[in-house]
Amino acid sequence: MIHFDQVSKRYDGGFEALSSVSFHIEPGEFVFLTGHSGAGKSTLLKLVTATEKPSSGQVRVDGQQLKSLNRREIAFYRRKLGIVHQDHQLLMNHSVYDNVAQPLFISGEHPGDVKRRVHAALDKVGLLNKEKFRPIQLSGGEQQRVGIARAVVKKPDVILADEPTGNLDPALSRDIMNLFAQFNDIGTTVLIASHDLGLIARLNYRVLSLKQGQMISSPFGTNGGTYG
Amino acid sequence: MAKKRPASNRRRNRAPTFDAKGWARHHWLCCKDSALSLLKSPISSALTWLVIAIALLLPTLFYISLQALNSQADTWQEGGQITLYLTFDTEESSGRQLAQELTARAEILRTEYISQEQAWASFNQTLSLESNLELAENPLPASIVAIPVQQSQADLEALLLMLRDLPEVNDIQIDLAWIDRLNRLLDLARSMVLLLSLILSVAVLLIVGNTIRLSIESRKAEVQIIKLLGATDAYVRRPFLYLGLWFGLLGGIAAWVMLTAISVSFQQRLDGFLGTYGLDAPAIWLNATELSLLLLTSVIVSLAGARIALWRHLKDTDPS
Repeated sequence: MIHFDQVSKRYDGGFEALSSVSFHIEPGEFVFLTGHSGAGKSTLLKLVTATEKPSSGQVRVDGQQLKSLNRREIAFYRRKLGIVHQDHQLLMNHSVYDNVAQPLFISGEHPGDVKRRVHAALDKVGLLNKEKFRPIQLSGGEQQRVGIARAVVKKPDVILADEPTGNLDPALSRDIMNLFAQFNDIGTTVLIASHDLGLIARLNYRVLSLKQGQMISSPFGTNGGTYG
Repeated sequence: MAKKRPASNRRRNRAPTFDAKGWARHHWLCCKDSALSLLKSPISSALTWLVIAIALLLPTLFYISLQALNSQADTWQEGGQITLYLTFDTEESSGRQLAQELTARAEILRTEYISQEQAWASFNQTLSLESNLELAENPLPASIVAIPVQQSQADLEALLLMLRDLPEVNDIQIDLAWIDRLNRLLDLARSMVLLLSLILSVAVLLIVGNTIRLSIESRKAEVQIIKLLGATDAYVRRPFLYLGLWFGLLGGIAAWVMLTAISVSFQQRLDGFLGTYGLDAPAIWLNATELSLLLLTSVIVSLAGARIALWRHLKDTDPS
């Protein structure tokens, strides 16, 4: 599903965030991406979302060469992804309902469908009773769950999450991981960047580890669950 | 973009089918939301569309004054009437016949034959001479007053040459310079209106462009988010373009309202002033065609301003 082939990313000023990273993630796989802050996790995710272009090497997702896509094609490509951000990235002057409905608005879904699907997604994250609230009225954990509801509302092929449990308490973190696991069970590919090694250790999924821009764990191995 | 990529790669990201209903829905939503956003901040949005209105008002006022002048120009052109003084040995009957022949010509609107007696009578009347002046003989010749149709200077001169050659005509009087001056003045005024319109259109373009730029900047975070959710550039542009459209429409309507207010208050004074000359004042307001043209121009220029701002600043909102 996600293929990195000798991918390097050098920013202006010479800082190399990723150097010659290669790995691939099979469709339907659940993979953790770990490493200290500054190790290149966010850069790697940005390459997958086509927010950044690699300086060299190739990124392929679902058989598509990302660097050959034009702006319009990138927009359509992103509709296949469900992205959860560390800082939630919610629309602050819209209701929770509108936030979760954005991806459906963008792809022009029928308003009736939008309502049904937004309610289903909010139900999954346990926020159905707060659909009329503004994000500012919610706690950090609740905002994170709004972000997750938005990421899954379109039943994406791939879920990408950057520190989704960053500032949540352990019980909530577990709930959220279970939610990702549920989606994984129905065939969604999941890639989660996290430095919560305890949590990663408890879950028996493959782990990709980055250190100073280089992949240090076996990129094609099957089980890194005890890594840490 | 890349030309050699496999066809399947290209097809995959295209929308499966064009969803006209969804597209129309988003247009309607953007149209409504941008109007609501203007209503939510009435003062700051009013500042923008009032500036647009004033920028439009200026050339429109000039235009209207020019139209009013133009509508009077035909009346004034009569100052360009040609007087043909006939020789004394021309009989009255042949003089009248000549007048009729001239009327039949395409270059001449109408003619009037003035006999020697009529000339004498009106001369006396005009000078209010109570017949103290007794002359043995009437010294005034018969004449034909010909009003030419509106035509170019060259045509008019050709007509004069022809008239001068007529055997019955002794002398010709015409104020060509006056007509020439009037035409040149109107021409000058017309090009000034055009120039002013162009300059102030650019002003409207810049005003709307700047307003939209500020709007993009204030919604930058929001735009970045929806781009990451898969919004195309067209989708992102839409609400801003509608904002530009509303500014243009509101500015155009406000300009028209101001213009009407000015016209109403001026019409009376103009009527009074021209009345002292025995003239009818022309109507000084826009007709339906001119009003639609004003609104259309305003909307198109505003949309162009918005589009230019988007073209310049939309890339800044790419997610990073």
